[in-house]
Amino acid sequence: MNRTKMTTWISTARLVPVALLAAALISGNAQAAAPGIKSSNDLFELRAQESFISQPDGNTVYSWGYGCANTATITFAPAMPNNKCPGMQVPGPTLIVTEGHPFTVRLTNGLPAAAGNTSILFPGLRIVSVSGGTQGLLTREATALSQVDYTLVADSPGTRSYYSGTQGDLQIEMGLYGAIIALPANPPASCGTGVAASNLAAEAANHESDFRLATAAYDHAATCYDREYLFQFSEIDPRIHRQVEEQLQAITACNGASGCPTALSVETEPYHPAYYMINGRSMPDDMDPNYALQYPNQPYNGNPHMHPGELVLLRVIGTGRLQHPFHEHGNHVRVLARDGHLILSEGDDTKLAGPLLFTTTTTPGLAMDGIFYWTGKGLNWDVFGHGYAGDSSTCTPDANGYYTADPTAPNYYEWCGDHNKPLESKPSGLVGSGGPVTLPDPNILALGPWYGGSPYLGGDATGRAAGATPIPPSGTVANSPTDEAGFAFMWHSHNERELTTNNAFPGGMMMMMLVDPRAYVIDEAK
Amino acid sequence: MISTQLLRRILAALPCVAFALPSGAQTFEIQCPAGTTLHPAAADGTPNPDIKCQQLSGGDGFATMADGTQTYLFSFGPLSGLKNIKDGLPGTLPAADFLQPYQPNPASPSDPDTAGNPNGAVGLEPQPDAPGHVDPRPVMDVGVLNGNMPAPLIAIAEDDELFLTLTNVGQIMRPDLFEQHTVHFHGYPNASSFYDGVPDASVAINIGGSFTYYYLAPDAGTYIWHCHITPPEHLQMGMVGQLYVRPRQDKLTSGDDLGAHLLAANKHAAVDAAATGRSCSDILCTGQTPVPKAADSSGNTGVTGGQLYAYNDGDGSTQYDVEYPIQIHGFDPDFHFVGMTFNPENFTDSKNKYFLLNGRSYPDTVTPGALSTQVADGSDHFSQPLPTIINIPFGGRALLRFGDLETNEFQTLASLGIPMHVIALNARLLRDLAGNNLAYDTNSITMGGGESLDVILDAHDTAKYPAGATYYLYTPNLDHLSNDAENFGGLMTEVHICPGAVDSLKQCVGP
Repeated sequence: MNRTKMTTWISTARLVPVALLAAALISGNAQAAAPGIKSSNDLFELRAQESFISQPDGNTVYSWGYGCANTATITFAPAMPNNKCPGMQVPGPTLIVTEGHPFTVRLTNGLPAAAGNTSILFPGLRIVSVSGGTQGLLTREATALSQVDYTLVADSPGTRSYYSGTQGDLQIEMGLYGAIIALPANPPASCGTGVAASNLAAEAANHESDFRLATAAYDHAATCYDREYLFQFSEIDPRIHRQVEEQLQAITACNGASGCPTALSVETEPYHPAYYMINGRSMPDDMDPNYALQYPNQPYNGNPHMHPGELVLLRVIGTGRLQHPFHEHGNHVRVLARDGHLILSEGDDTKLAGPLLFTTTTTPGLAMDGIFYWTGKGLNWDVFGHGYAGDSSTCTPDANGYYTADPTAPNYYEWCGDHNKPLESKPSGLVGSGGPVTLPDPNILALGPWYGGSPYLGGDATGRAAGATPIPPSGTVANSPTDEAGFAFMWHSHNERELTTNNAFPGGMMMMMLVDPRAYVIDEAK
Repeated sequence: MISTQLLRRILAALPCVAFALPSGAQTFEIQCPAGTTLHPAAADGTPNPDIKCQQLSGGDGFATMADGTQTYLFSFGPLSGLKNIKDGLPGTLPAADFLQPYQPNPASPSDPDTAGNPNGAVGLEPQPDAPGHVDPRPVMDVGVLNGNMPAPLIAIAEDDELFLTLTNVGQIMRPDLFEQHTVHFHGYPNASSFYDGVPDASVAINIGGSFTYYYLAPDAGTYIWHCHITPPEHLQMGMVGQLYVRPRQDKLTSGDDLGAHLLAANKHAAVDAAATGRSCSDILCTGQTPVPKAADSSGNTGVTGGQLYAYNDGDGSTQYDVEYPIQIHGFDPDFHFVGMTFNPENFTDSKNKYFLLNGRSYPDTVTPGALSTQVADGSDHFSQPLPTIINIPFGGRALLRFGDLETNEFQTLASLGIPMHVIALNARLLRDLAGNNLAYDTNSITMGGGESLDVILDAHDTAKYPAGATYYLYTPNLDHLSNDAENFGGLMTEVHICPGAVDSLKQCVGP
C-alpha cells in the first residue's frame, strides 16, 4: 500500500487565512529555543532509518532520517515536555557540544539494504579519527546494519550542519541532515553583567526560565545573547521520495528472484520541490510546539518569540540544494559568523565586521550565526500607548536611552525617546492623543489571525485603545488581544513561491515571529 | 433558538467586523497633514516641507513585454506625483505640492501630461452630496487599470515623516476576487506590525477603502517595498517597487566636514553622553554609521560636502552624480495568463520566461520615456515608466540602486567594460564596526528576492571611459537573455558615457 499520498493538484491560491487560522487554534502559543541533545559520555549513537513525515496538506512523505539508536547517556538541552530522540527524525537530532572537547558520533546504517551505504560529513569540524565501515568517496561509510565511529572536535564555537556523505543528492533529499551547535568554552563574563544581567532579572520577574544553551555564541564580548533559535532550511520533491518507496516495495515483492533489482536507481532530476520546510516542518506545522506528539518524526519547530530589547541569536543553516533568501521582518540581522568563524574587523578584533542584512540568504552547506533584536527605536510614537490623561507610566532612560532601570516594569526596555508620543490624532480609546494619524474605519479592513487588536503592544495598551470589545474577539486568534497582543512579524523565504505547500498558500518556508510584551510569559518549553 | 451569547460569538467570528471604534464610515481617504508635533506647520498654515506624502492605487493593469505580449498585472499605480512618475522620477512630494488636487482630463484621466496639477493627489475633492466623504469618481477614473510595473518609486529624506496612502480600487479583470492589498516597507528597522503590511500579522485594506501608512524615515539607503497579500501571487504578478531614503549628508555644504558631522550624528543617535560617536552604540547600528577609520579624533576626514551621497559615509565614498533605480524581476507568462483567466495557479512548476529590469526586457530597457500599454477598455495607460538607460556624465559616477523581489530564483547581472563598485548591501553601508570600508569591486552581482544592493559605476578616469562609449549590463544566466520564445533580449541594458552632463530627466546634454 503506497503511503506517500500525492493529492490532486488543486488551486488554493486564495485559501487565505482559513487553514492558517485553524492550525493556529491548535498550536496555541508554542515557542521554540534551539533544542537538542547532549551526551554525558561524549558519544552520540545515531541510526539512519526510514519512516514517514507529515505535511500540512495531509500528505505523508516517505523519508530517511537520523535518530537515536541509544538514549542511555543522552540529556535534552533545554529540557522540555515530551522531549525525546526518536528512532528517526527530520532534521536529525541537534548535537550540542563544547568547543575544544572531542566527541564521537557512532552511525549505524539502518536503511533498507537496497539503499546501500550511508555516512556523515561534518563540515567545519576537525576529524580526530574515523573507524569502522568501508572507505567511500568522501569519508568512511557504514554498510547495511554496520556502523562507523567519527571522532571529532569543534575548534571554534558556532553552528554547523551534518549530512550524508554518500549519494548526497538522494540521501540529503530524503532527510539525512541535521545540526551541531558548539558552545563556547569561555563565554565572556561581561555577558552576565550590565544589561545582560538586568535582562535576565526581567525574565525572572515575569516568571520566565532561561532557555539558552550559553550566554554567548562565541568567546567574544560582542556575541552575548538573551535568547536563541535554530532554523534549518530544506525542501522536498515528493516524486523522488515516491520513487524510492515504490522501488523498495518492488524489491521486497520480488523477493530475490532472478532478474530482481537489488539496488535503488532513483532519478533526482528534474527537481521540482513541492514542500519547503523550516526545521523539517512547513507552515503552519512549524508553529506547533517542539516535540509535538502529532509529528513523531519532526520534533523541531520554528516559532520565535522575544521581548523588546532582547538580543536574539539566530543560528541559520541551509540544507538541500537550493538557496533561500530568508527575510526577517522587523529589523536587520548582524551576521556574527560564517561556518563557525567569527567575522572581525581588520586591525581591531574587538569589533565585529559581519554585514547587517535584512535578508540572510541561506546556501546549501552554509551555516551562519547572527544577532537580531527589536526595540521600536525610531518609530516616533509610543508603542505602549502612553501619554493619556491619568497615565502614571515612567520611562527613565539608561545611558543608551532605554528603560532598563526597573526589570519588573511592564515597559522594560522601552525606548524613552518616544515615550508618551501619540500615534493617533483623536483616539477613541485611552491612549495618547494629538498624534499624526487617524486610524481607518475598521469596517473596511481585513484583520489577520496574528493581529494583536490594535497598533499598540500588549494587552494593557490594546485594551485601552480598542475598548471593552477588543478586535478580534479573544480566543479565536493566535495573538490574543487581552493576553499576548504582541507585534507579529513574518520570517520567511523571499523566493515567494516557496511559501506554498504543494501549490497551496499559505504554507512552506514561513513562520511568525512575535515581539511580546513583558506581561506575556514566553515559555520556550511549550 | 440560538442563544444571544452563541449568536454574538457567531457574529464575532465572521470576518472581522468591528464594534469597538466609532464608525467614521470612510471609504477613500487621504491623510497628509500640514503639520505634526515633530514638523509643525508654519504660522500661516503652510505645510512643513519635511512632511512627505504619496498615494498609490492597489489594483490591476497591463504591461508590454519585449516580444510585444500584453501581460496582465496585479499592480500598484500612482494616485499622486503622476507627472514625476511618468518621467521616471520618484512620486513622493512635500505636503504642499501633494495637496493640490489633480485635475484629470476626461479624455485621458490617467495621463498627467493632459491634466491640471499633474503631480497633485487624486481624490482630494469632497463629494458634494455627502459631507465628510471624498468624491470617489476621479479616484476610479484615474486609478482603475493604471497599474505600473515596477510600482511607483518612493523617495524621502532622513528625518522626514512619510504619509503613504494606499487606495484599493479593485481589480477589474478579476471580479471574482475581493483582493485586499498592503504595503510592506521591506527593511524598515524596528517596524511596527501595524504598518509593516503583513496581512496575517495586522490589517489589510479592502476594495473601496484607503489606508495611510505612517513612517518616520529610517536610516538612509536603498529599500524595496511590495504588497504582502498572498505574496507568491501578488509579487509574481507585479506588485513590487523601490523606496529610497536620502542621507542627511546630502544637506551638508562645502564648508562642512563629512566625517565630523557623521560623528556628531552618531553621538546624537547613541544618546549616551559618553559615546565617542566613532562606532555604533548597539550591534545593529540603529541610526548610526561607523566613522571612517582614518578620521581624526573629532571625526574629520578632510572631505567636505555639497554633493549627492548614497549613505552617510563621512568620507564621500558613496558620492554620485546621477542615480538609477534597477528593479530586477521575472514574469512567468503562464502564471500571468491564469492570473487573468480564473484558472488554478501552479507555483511548484512556475518558470519565468521574461526577465525584467524596471519592468522591461531588452531592447525595451533602452527605449527612452514611459512605455504605454493598451488596457482592457482599449485606452492607453503608461505602464512601465522606467527605462534602464544608464547615462553617466562625462568623468562622473552613477549610483545603481538595485532591488530584487523576484519570486522564483536568483539572478546575476554582470558588467562588460566598467567595473561595479559595491558599496552597500540591504540598505546598509559596507563598513565594519572599526570603520574599515568593506566596499568591493566586481564584474557581477547576484541577487535573490528580498535583497537590495548599491553599486557605483565610476567613470572619473576619462581616458578609460571616453565620451560616447557604450557598455553593457547583461545576465550571465544566459538563458535569461531571452524574451520568452525570442532568444535575444532579456535581462540586459546599456551604459552610456555622455559627452557632457546629464539633465534632470537623465538624458545626456552638453558638448
